Amino acid sequence: MITLTVALLIGAALFGIGLYGALSQTNLVMIMMGIELMLGAALVNLVAFWRFLHPDVYAGQMFFLIVMTVMALEMAVGFGVATARFRAAGSVEMEEAAELQG
Amino acid sequence: MAVRLVAVALCGLAAVWFGIRVFRTRSMVRSALALLFAMAALGGLFLALEAEFLGVLQLMMMATEMAVMAIFMVMYMMDPGGLGQMEMTHQKRLARGAGALGGLGAAALAVGLALGGGWGPISAAAPSPAAQNHDLGIELMERSMMIFETAGVTILVAMVAATAVALGRRR
Repeated sequence: MITLTVALLIGAALFGIGLYGALSQTNLVMIMMGIELMLGAALVNLVAFWRFLHPDVYAGQMFFLIVMTVMALEMAVGFGVATARFRAAGSVEMEEAAELQG
Repeated sequence: MAVRLVAVALCGLAAVWFGIRVFRTRSMVRSALALLFAMAALGGLFLALEAEFLGVLQLMMMATEMAVMAIFMVMYMMDPGGLGQMEMTHQKRLARGAGALGGLGAAALAVGLALGGGWGPISAAAPSPAAQNHDLGIELMERSMMIFETAGVTILVAMVAATAVALGRRR
């Protein structure tokens, strides 16, 4: 129980740090780093729940693989957008991308 | 049990420390390295939680991913070394509040459920690494095959989309 709670607390701390980073940073790559940390927090929770609650059911590990896929996709699409933005505006600073607000 | 708890706590604290360092330095290269170390510490955490396959996967994948990220940072940042002391943050108060609210809310939920016994019975032993690999393979190829295949197709679509977006319009 203690180890599970410690793992969940670590996940909570990482989620908070990631959320702070995603909201406070002006650079697209740094925002992606914040999102990566939040997804890392989700991974910690998934592994902790699998290990301590249902180690005989592998849906938890499957979910882990899906979240890891999402992390990779976020990086790929994010860098694609960053490349397009850099070509169009010469910068990936989101403060200078007000026209993307919609 | 105690050894595992210490290992989980140490790896977790290292991950949190490096996670904080990501946003506490003006050097983008240091930020990328701090995130790499945070993700590596998470890999160690997974190994300490006896999820050997996932831990090794995390270490291998994140090392590659962060190396790619560092290359992009040097390419796109106006000041990747942080020597110009550029200010690269905004809405700090909102971000701090949201981060604290999210983190403390999740922590309160975890502690509250632990104290209230809401998690139910806790499993003492995990399957052996070989059994985990075997059973995860069976899970991937049987019950979760459609999800697995969908993830593969999604990766392909994202690769094509990212390349198309990055190429832009050609005359």
